[in-house]
Amino acid sequence: MTSIQARPLEVAAQWRRTSLATAPADRAGAEQGVRAAYRAAGLAQPTAVLWFDSPLQAAAAALLLGGGAEEVRAGPGGEAAEPLLDQAAIRLAAAGVRAGGASVREAVRTRPWEQSRRRVVEQVGAGGWAELWALTGGELRPQTQALSARIRTALVDRLTSSAELADDADGDLRERTARAVSAVRLALLDAVLGQHDAPWLAAFDAAGELDGLDGLGGPAEVARSAGWWWPYEQVVLLSERPTELHRDEAGRLDRADGPALAYADGFALHAWRGMPVPPDFLTGLAGLTAERIREEENAELRRVMVEYYGYDRYLADSGAEPLHRDETGILWRIQLPDDEPVVVVEVVNSTAEPDGTFRTYWLRVPPGTRTARAGVAWTFGVTEVDYHPQRET
Amino acid sequence: MYRQGDVLIVPVEEAAVPASAAALPPQQRDVRGRLVLALGEVTGHAHAVVGPGELRRETGPFGAAWLHLPEGGRVVHEEHAVIPLPRGWYRVVRQREYVPGAVRYVAD
Repeated sequence: MTSIQARPLEVAAQWRRTSLATAPADRAGAEQGVRAAYRAAGLAQPTAVLWFDSPLQAAAAALLLGGGAEEVRAGPGGEAAEPLLDQAAIRLAAAGVRAGGASVREAVRTRPWEQSRRRVVEQVGAGGWAELWALTGGELRPQTQALSARIRTALVDRLTSSAELADDADGDLRERTARAVSAVRLALLDAVLGQHDAPWLAAFDAAGELDGLDGLGGPAEVARSAGWWWPYEQVVLLSERPTELHRDEAGRLDRADGPALAYADGFALHAWRGMPVPPDFLTGLAGLTAERIREEENAELRRVMVEYYGYDRYLADSGAEPLHRDETGILWRIQLPDDEPVVVVEVVNSTAEPDGTFRTYWLRVPPGTRTARAGVAWTFGVTEVDYHPQRET
Repeated sequence: MYRQGDVLIVPVEEAAVPASAAALPPQQRDVRGRLVLALGEVTGHAHAVVGPGELRRETGPFGAAWLHLPEGGRVVHEEHAVIPLPRGWYRVVRQREYVPGAVRYVAD
């Protein structure tokens, strides 16, 4: 069955698009994949298949089926999670589901996964598998993994309010929070990541392992069609894909005027160049001033504010003095209260924009940097003495 | 050394290329037959080499990339002027930015 396809890069590109898809789920396709996955695992078909708008809603249902809901209700985020759990309970009841049975993630996903991997390694050797992985999943994994980790963190936070736990919280509150967090984490361990399993599926696809609907073919079909899913003996919970996904050139979650990742039910993540920020933070920056930036106590948020405001404006408004100037650029230092100084090197693009101007950009460098050349050299990991490009464009 | 936007291309002696890197599989070319050194996620604009040669990329976010151009080549990008490269071996470095407690990569 295994045969290495000629074009792993094209296969990887398809799975890359799948991992970033924001279209409504292909529900029929996903359910066909689910049935194939159960059949391939030798399991009876689930009696109920339930769709949810987001992994948050689906995770609430998973907590009810897996028995973690009581810990969540008893946790500090219990009140906030209550409506989600209630809604999920109504959905399960309406579908006639009293219990879901045990998780069958191991049987429908992990076992065929291991079998496929063994088969590919037997055919092409460990080196061949490493090579195939480098061309497919290795490229996709860093960003896909970062995204699913962010979603997981947000799910734990929304269901437990763990991020709001104060440093001086008492022992009982800590204990209840810890129990709620571990209940949600356990429920998330039962999830199959659908479109976000793209890196591994790309490698198996390029190895010809996804050609039929046996083995990993079923889970792959779900991944092509939907978001995260939870397989249980009698029930399958499926989530829609996100409706919004905005990233910057480096692939990090990034959006100034709305959520960087959002689902139809409003579950959303806000981020600026990859940095998580509170939901209203960026829209609240419209009338930002240099003074407000100085007053912000949270160093990470202040950094976002300076970038949002623009280093150029901030340097001008705060009367910053250039530290050093040479042919590579200008080095600036901004003193911040109770934080290390922001040292940035101002660099001018060597190639003109279409209108004939040259774009200027600012790069933050370590606070101990003394010269503009040392700053630019640091951004490329070379020493000041060595940094002498003979040509720049 | 040569700089095109956020990519630095540093000539190296062949002997300086670690054996572990030389043993890596060569990166595949894109649909236009180019060796992509760095790709912009949103615009799809790429720093790419046109011409014969091989690129070997160490894994991990801080992994180096090694470029071999047996006959020389050209580095192109949608927003930057072309840079001709003589034949030889090169280390390809992506520009990074300082973040207290971490480092992040720049994308132009």
